[in-house]
Amino acid sequence: MKAIVLRILLQRPGLDRTAGLFRLRLRAGGSQIVLAAFVLVAILAPLISPQNPYDPLQVLGWDASSPPGTVGSGGYAYILGTDGLGRDILSTIFYGLRISLVVSIVSSLAAAMIGLAAGVTAAYFGRWIDAVIMRLVDLQLSLPTILVALIAIVTLGPGVDRIILALIIVQWAVYARMVRGVALSETRKSYMDAAQLLRMPTLRILLRHLLPNSIAPALTLLPIEIGHAIALEATLSFLGLGVPLDKPSLGSAVANGFQYLMTGQYWISLFPGLALLCLVASINFVGDDLRRRLDPRSAAR
Amino acid sequence: MYWATIASGRLAQAALLLLAMSLIAFIGIHSIGNPVFNVVNIETATAEDIRQATTALGLDQPVWKQYFLFLSNIVRGEFGTSYIYHQPAVDLVLGKLPATLELAVFAMLVAAPVGVGLGLLAGRNEGSAFDRVVLRFCVLVASVPSFWLSMMLILGLAVLAGWLPSGGRGDSMLAFGQEWSVLTGDGLRHIILPALALALPNIALICRLARAGTIEVQGQEFTRFCRAKGLSARRILMRHTLPNISIPIVTIIALQFGGMLAFAVVVETIFAWPGVGKLLIDSIQLLDRPVVMATLTFVAVAFVTLNALVDLLYAILDPRVRLS
Repeated sequence: MKAIVLRILLQRPGLDRTAGLFRLRLRAGGSQIVLAAFVLVAILAPLISPQNPYDPLQVLGWDASSPPGTVGSGGYAYILGTDGLGRDILSTIFYGLRISLVVSIVSSLAAAMIGLAAGVTAAYFGRWIDAVIMRLVDLQLSLPTILVALIAIVTLGPGVDRIILALIIVQWAVYARMVRGVALSETRKSYMDAAQLLRMPTLRILLRHLLPNSIAPALTLLPIEIGHAIALEATLSFLGLGVPLDKPSLGSAVANGFQYLMTGQYWISLFPGLALLCLVASINFVGDDLRRRLDPRSAAR
Repeated sequence: MYWATIASGRLAQAALLLLAMSLIAFIGIHSIGNPVFNVVNIETATAEDIRQATTALGLDQPVWKQYFLFLSNIVRGEFGTSYIYHQPAVDLVLGKLPATLELAVFAMLVAAPVGVGLGLLAGRNEGSAFDRVVLRFCVLVASVPSFWLSMMLILGLAVLAGWLPSGGRGDSMLAFGQEWSVLTGDGLRHIILPALALALPNIALICRLARAGTIEVQGQEFTRFCRAKGLSARRILMRHTLPNISIPIVTIIALQFGGMLAFAVVVETIFAWPGVGKLLIDSIQLLDRPVVMATLTFVAVAFVTLNALVDLLYAILDPRVRLS
């Protein structure tokens, strides 16, 4: 009898909130369409790019620094011009989008997972485990992100995998703090008592009961953090500490054109930068919209 | 006595924070690879060379002893000699500091009045066309990465319009034993663009805060009372609204000043401004390890100290903080 009561208690009311995330109807506003277009372009980059900018055979050196609209010796027009090595800017943007998106999405997802695990662990065990994890979070959030990223890059060294690692180090703490707050209030609810009284293994309680109920606010944070990650990766790449220059992300594509800016060859930097700007802005708007619709407090307003 | 307790508590917390950071940095450096290979060449070194270098660097000592050595070197400011400039790393950083401070102070002197002014005006006329333009500007500036903003400033005002120089520090004048650019006309022309690049995001931030504060204060009893008393709108804004929203604004200005020291990395690199930030990036690219360590330590310490001071200032300015 007691077990049955406990089982009933175990029904997880908070899960509805998480499930609600996936039931959200897709909204087709301007920023959503722009973002979808960006993702589509990134996926289809090899098919729709006029040129493969990483293939030395397709990049024609004598077409270097052509202004937008020039018809190159390859027989096709460089709609947005070429950079100092003769790479088609449009293709560089398409391929750069892929790298920027992959780096930021992978790092944000990994950071979210680490942050979730850390936050739930801190909230569930409390005491010194909580203290250690949260002091680490405080330490990190008290420094500017660019400083943490620089320290991480300096210690880790260059390379795409290191950039992802550095972005994870920068981002995990935000999730940990947020999740811990939610999980702390969840641990006081009756279903958690029920789970403990049923003598479930700790890991099962954490993964099957506490985590699903604490995950929703962290997921709403995800798009905005991806936007931050893109901007940060671009900044690091611009400073020459990010992805290698032969396979440019949007940030390093902008950096490639910096020296040409002074002589008025604006297109090498301008167009990748505009693409970056639109990408980050559309992600921010979509993220803001998502958060506003999911946060019950602002919905009530 | 009361203040001494609070101050020492907050400063102890800051010291603890720095201690934790040094520990993490120590672990980070030692988990990356054997530091011996910073000194000897991996390919040509014999086993004897490596053993000698290990002893010389104190790497044969127990780990805790190594950590204390590391820590005491930091405290005494001994980061070693720059591989490139052959000067003590700390002297190099301190030598570049005036340029960075000059830039940051100049930028903040622009950002604070403009941001507060825009915020007050936008908040007073909430929902007006002016308010909407200001809000949109704030959102736009917030999503522009700072390097892109800097480059567009160069493109627009330096390359296309040709009004201002695109980089460097220009002429400077010697005062108080240091070179200052703001004292000469040419130097002033050089500082405008980088300062603008540093100031714009801060204008947006301060403006949003001031606007929100103004809207809140304007709805309160005492503002209505002032209006009923027949005070002019201008007087209400300057004498009654502004002091009431000043605490969070002062806080954010102080905090952002620390942030500027960090973000100067980007702006200084783009505008070739010879400050601490440019030194950091150059040293990272030249693998000048002592200078990198010294610069990062300096910025981190400056930031943490500033944070602690802001907290103390906050407690002095706002009696409600004192009670909790």
